[in-house]
Amino acid sequence: MPLDRRLIQNFEWRLILTAFLLAGLGILSIYTATATASLPLKQHLYLRQATWFVVGATLLVVAVTINYRTTGRFAYLFYGLAIFSLLLVPLFGRVGLGAQRWIKLGFLAFQPSEVAKVALVLCLARYFEDRKERVTAPRTMVGAALLTLVPALLVVRQPDLGTALLLLAVGVSLMLLVGVRLRVLVPVGVGLLALAPIVWTFLKAYQKRRLLVFLNPNLDPLGAGYHVAQSKIAVGSGELLGKGFMAASQSQLNFLPENHTDFIFAVLAEQWGFLGSLAVLALFYFLIIRGLEISMEAKDLFGSLMAFGITTMIGLQALLNIGMVLGVMPVVGIPLPLLSYGGSSMVMTLTAIGLLVNVRMRRFMY
Amino acid sequence: MTTWHTLNPAPGIQRRVGRLILVATAVVVVLVLRLWHLQVLEGNRYLAMAQHNRLRLRPVDAPRGILFDRYGQILVDNRPSFDVYVVPEDVTDPGGTAERLGQLLGMPVEQVAEKLVAGRSRRFTPLLLKAGVPEQTMIALEERKLDLPGVSLRVHPVRSYPAGSLAAHLLGYVSEVNRAQLAREEFRDFAPGEPFGQAGVERRFDAFIRGIDGGEQIEVDALGRLTRLVERMEPQSGFNLILTIDRRLQDAAERAFASKSGAVVAMDPRTGEILAWVSNPAYDPGLFTQRISREDWGILAGDPRHPLQNRPLQGQYPPGSIFKLIVAAAALESGAITPSTLLDCPATFALGNFTFDNWKREGRGVMDLHRAIAESCNTYFYQVALKTGIEPIVEMAREFGLGEGLGLGLGDEGRGLVPTPGWKQQVIGEPWYPGNTVITAIGQGMVLATPLQVVTMVSAIANGGTLYKPWVVKRVESWQGEEVEEYGPEILRRVRVSPETLRVIRDGMWAVVNDGQGTGQRARIPWIEVAGKTATSQVVRKQAGQEKRGLKDHGWFVAYAPAHSPEVAVVVIAEHAGFGSAAAAPVARAILEAAFPLVTVDVPRGQRPPAPPLRPPVAALPRPEPVIAD
Repeated sequence: MPLDRRLIQNFEWRLILTAFLLAGLGILSIYTATATASLPLKQHLYLRQATWFVVGATLLVVAVTINYRTTGRFAYLFYGLAIFSLLLVPLFGRVGLGAQRWIKLGFLAFQPSEVAKVALVLCLARYFEDRKERVTAPRTMVGAALLTLVPALLVVRQPDLGTALLLLAVGVSLMLLVGVRLRVLVPVGVGLLALAPIVWTFLKAYQKRRLLVFLNPNLDPLGAGYHVAQSKIAVGSGELLGKGFMAASQSQLNFLPENHTDFIFAVLAEQWGFLGSLAVLALFYFLIIRGLEISMEAKDLFGSLMAFGITTMIGLQALLNIGMVLGVMPVVGIPLPLLSYGGSSMVMTLTAIGLLVNVRMRRFMY
Repeated sequence: MTTWHTLNPAPGIQRRVGRLILVATAVVVVLVLRLWHLQVLEGNRYLAMAQHNRLRLRPVDAPRGILFDRYGQILVDNRPSFDVYVVPEDVTDPGGTAERLGQLLGMPVEQVAEKLVAGRSRRFTPLLLKAGVPEQTMIALEERKLDLPGVSLRVHPVRSYPAGSLAAHLLGYVSEVNRAQLAREEFRDFAPGEPFGQAGVERRFDAFIRGIDGGEQIEVDALGRLTRLVERMEPQSGFNLILTIDRRLQDAAERAFASKSGAVVAMDPRTGEILAWVSNPAYDPGLFTQRISREDWGILAGDPRHPLQNRPLQGQYPPGSIFKLIVAAAALESGAITPSTLLDCPATFALGNFTFDNWKREGRGVMDLHRAIAESCNTYFYQVALKTGIEPIVEMAREFGLGEGLGLGLGDEGRGLVPTPGWKQQVIGEPWYPGNTVITAIGQGMVLATPLQVVTMVSAIANGGTLYKPWVVKRVESWQGEEVEEYGPEILRRVRVSPETLRVIRDGMWAVVNDGQGTGQRARIPWIEVAGKTATSQVVRKQAGQEKRGLKDHGWFVAYAPAHSPEVAVVVIAEHAGFGSAAAAPVARAILEAAFPLVTVDVPRGQRPPAPPLRPPVAALPRPEPVIAD
C-alpha cells in the first residue's frame, strides 16, 4: 500500500494523545489507590496496568495500520470468537457463587465480555453495511436484535448486568442510528420483556437471589448506599484544587471499596479537586465529540457505524461511571474506560480507538 | 466539517449523530454542575466529614452452612467465638490495661504490653488480642468494661464439631485463607483472614457453604469509638449440605476401628453413595477453626503415622487376595477356566528357579474356583493367572476402575497401579517375566489400589456389574430448606463381564464368610447373609532400625450384605495388623450389624411381624435456626 500523503494529513494525533493522557492518569491513580493496600499483590497493580497499556498501545498501532475495510471483512469472525470465548467462561472460570467473568490463558486471565463489546460493534456495522438497501426493514432489525441479544444473555449469566445492559444500549443506539422506527423497536422490546418471567421460572433459587442483588444493589450486604456515601465524601473533600498527589486520605484509607476499579474517578477527584475532575471530564468530552464527528465524516456506512458504535460504547461507560461516582446515577458495575484497573478493558478500548483513528484518516480514500 | 453532506452514505445519519452530540453535551454539563456542587459549594462540608470520617464499615461474618448426614443428623455445626480486640489509641493507661487484661485473659502481662506497643503504628485499627476466649472470660470483660477503655469484643461464628473428629478427612476443615492462596486469581474476592474450607467437602463445596457476609455501617467519633449503628445488613448464612453419610454406620465404623490405623469405607452398591468414611489416625478439625498454633501444626504434620493423610482416597496399598476376584473374572471371561475346572492347591509352586508359597504351609488338594476363592488358595491362582495371561487380567482390572481416579472430587485421588508389561519396561526398564504374572495374581508385587477403588470395585461385583462414581453430597439447600442443587448416582461404566461370571464370584465370596473352610468366617452375622473376601498385603520389609510397627502385614476385608440383594458394601484395611481375617473382618462385621440391626419384636403366633419402623424423612426434621453473630 503506497503511503498516501492524505493519510498523514488526516492522522488524528489529538485523539490518541487524549487516550494516552487518560490512561496515564489512570495508572497514576491506581498507584495512589493501592499504595496502602495490605497485600503486596495489590500494591503492584499499577505496574500490571502499565504493562496492559503497552499491550493496548501496540494493538492500537496495529488497528491504525490495517485498513478498517480489511478489518471489517473479519467482523463476523471476531464476533464468533467473542461468543465462543463467552461460552468458555462457565467451563474455565472460577466456580462459585460469585461472578465468573475471566478465562485463564496460561498465566494471564482475560475477560471475554470486554472483547464482546468491540466485536459486537464491528459485527453490527458490517451487518448493516451488507444490508445497505433494506437497512430499516423489520427483518434486518430482528437479525440485528439477535446479534445483540446473544452476547448480552451470555454476559447476564456470568452475571454481569452492567456490561449486558451496555451491550444492549450499543446495539439499540446503532439501530436507531440507521433509522429504525420506534414502532418496530417498541414491539421487540415488549416481546423481550414478556419472555423474562419464563426465563425466571427456569432459574434456581440462588440464581434468582444473585439476579435480585444485581437489579437492586441495596440487597448487597456491603450496601451500595455505603459506596456512594463514601464516594461523595471523597470527591467533595477534594474541593477546588484537590488535596494533592498521594494525599487522598479518603480513597487511600480503605474507606472506599473498589477504589482502583469502579470508583477510580473518586481517587482522582479527591487528589486533584474540581479542576482535575474537570480536566478528565473535558478529555472524555473531547473523545466523544471527536468520535461522533468521525462517524459523521466517514466515507462509507461501515466506517460511520463503527465509529459511532465505538464512541457510544466508550462515552456511555465514561458518563455512566462518573455519574455513579458522583451519586447521580444508580450503582451498576461499569468501569471507567482507560482509567479503571483492568487489562482486558484497557487493551480493547485502546484497540477501538485505533479503529476510530483509522476511519478518520481514510475518509478521503475511496 | 463542511464536507459531510456530499460524502456520507446513509441519509439522516448526520442529523441523528448531531442530536446525540447535543445529548452528550447536556450530560457532561450536568456532571460538571454536580462536580461544582460537590467540590466547590459543599466541599467544605465534605472535607469536614472526611477529616473525622465517621462512617465505617464493619463486616459481619456469615455462618457457614451446616453439614447433615443422610437422615438429618448434624455432623458439623457453628458456634459463636468471642474475640477480644483493643484499639491502641483509646487505651488511656497502657500499664494498667495490660495488667488487667493479662489477668483476665490468662496471658503474660508483658505479652499484652508488647502487643499494645506494636499496635501503636496503626493506632486506630482494632488489634486482635485473643481469639476464642471462653464465655466466662467474656462476661468478666463486659463487667469490667469501664476499667478497660479501648477494649472491645466481637462475636463471630466458627465451626463446631459436635461429633469430634468423626469423618474428619471426608468433611475437611475450615481455616483462614493463607497468603499463598490470596495471591491466586481465584481468591480475588477473599479478604485476608476470611474462613475458607481447606479440605474435603468443606473445600469442594466452599462456595455453597460460605454464605454471604453482612456488614454494619457504624458511626464513630473522632477517637474511633462506636457512637451509633447506622445500618445493618444481615449476613446470609451459607447453604446446608445433606450428605450421603449414614451416622449409624459411621459411628459403628469409628468405634470398631478406633484403636487401629488404616481406612474404612462403606458404600451403597446400588448408587455409589458413601455411607461411612474413616481414616485413622484422625485429627481434630476443631484445631483449625481459630488460627492453628505452631505446636499443634508441628505435631500433626510431623506425626510418622500421617494423621492428615486421607487414607481411603490417597492411601495406596497392594490389594492382596482381593485381586484374585479380578483374576477369576478375567479367567472365566477369557475361557482359560470354567467354574468346574479343577486344579491342585499345593503348598508351594515352582516356576523356573523361583518358588512361590501358598499362605498356608500345607497343600489343600484339588479344588474348583468356588473353593479356591473361599479358601483363598494362592497356588491355585498362580496357575490360573499363567493360563489366562497378564493382558486379560489388566483389562479386567481397568474395567473395574483400578488404576484410575474415580472422580470423587475431594482432593488428590490416588490412582493405584495396574502394572502392565509395557509399563514395567518403561519405568523399571526390565521385560515382564512370568513370575510377575504369578505375583500379580495374588495382588502383590507392583499392584496398588486405594480403599475407595476396592469398595467401588466390590460394589460393582455386588450390584451385577455397574461401576458407580462414588459421591458424598446428596443435596444442597438454603437454610429455609429450598433446594439449591440435588445430586444423583452417576454410572462410570457397565463392566464388560457376563452375569454368570459375576454369579460365580459372588458365590465364592459368600463361601468366604459362610463356608466351614472360608477365610472370612469372623464376619458372619446370624441374621443376615454376608459375602466377602479377605486379603493380607505384604509390606515391603524396611531397613533395619525402622520401628517394628512397619514390619507387620496389612489386613484387608471387603464385604457386602445382604448377599443376595446387596445394600451395603464395606472395605476395611488395618495397617500392620496382620491377617485380614483376624484384624479387619470383625470391623466390617460391626458396620454391617449397625446397618442391619437385629430387631426383636414379640409376634403372636400365626401373625406376620410388623413392618420395621420407617426412618424419618429428611425434610420432616426441624431445621435449626442459623447462628447469627451480633
